[in-house]
Amino acid sequence: MQFSQICDRVEAEAAGADPADVSALAGVWLNSNPDTNGIARMVLSEAGGKLVLQVYGVGPEGLIDWGTTDVNIFAASASSRSVTGFTCIYDFGFAETQLQAMILKGLIVLAQLHTFKDESRRVDYFVREYFALAHGRY
Amino acid sequence: MRQPFQFTQSGHLNPALTDPASRTLHADKLTGRWLNTNRQTQGIAAINIEQDGEKFIVSVAGVGDDGHIEWPRTEARVLANLEEEAGQRAVALAAVFDFGFMRAETYLRVNKGVLVIVLFNTFRDDAGRSNYVNREFFYRQD
Repeated sequence: MQFSQICDRVEAEAAGADPADVSALAGVWLNSNPDTNGIARMVLSEAGGKLVLQVYGVGPEGLIDWGTTDVNIFAASASSRSVTGFTCIYDFGFAETQLQAMILKGLIVLAQLHTFKDESRRVDYFVREYFALAHGRY
Repeated sequence: MRQPFQFTQSGHLNPALTDPASRTLHADKLTGRWLNTNRQTQGIAAINIEQDGEKFIVSVAGVGDDGHIEWPRTEARVLANLEEEAGQRAVALAAVFDFGFMRAETYLRVNKGVLVIVLFNTFRDDAGRSNYVNREFFYRQD
């Protein structure tokens, strides 16, 4: 088994075809910062064995629906089936936004890598935001 | 910044994005040799970040059985960092390491003097491993 670091390796019995458990990610995730200028809300849904994301950005006149996209899922380790992260790309034509997310202490930490493709001369940028699961309790 | 610019979130209209200086802000805070804060790590032992003009080259040493595994040197993408980390904002880097059998998408940033790398590792072989995400912390060696 090839590896680039020891933690890439798994024991033969740990490798297998068990389905990934995406239950930790499924749900509605709200930005912890009510004054964000970035992403207000993410909805992650299980559909046909895939995880589908819908993002709502904050606009000057209300939320902007980015639409849905499939995400690439990532476990906590090479031998784990518990999914704790995802990546995806939204291509808006004038810009591309790459999302890289991982769960830390119950929050999603979402890194956003924004690349502008238009002639606006805006610099590409990075920002992280935190999201809490809307659990409906309390 | 006025609205001829297209956007999908208000952050796209941040005036700092039209300041070219945002692209290189405090880049020196990332350059140098960095060692993992966890001496027992089974992941990355050390990271070296070099700046050559506007280019940033990232070298990584993974932990192997009999010493370090040198990852392919990779040019990183430089991103303005709009986060405010206690007034210590510096650019962030994004780098992709391609090993053939796997691919590691990473981003690197500095927070209060600590280099943080987050890796999204995707396997392309059929070894039955899960793609996984990992995060590690580094202190400056020099």
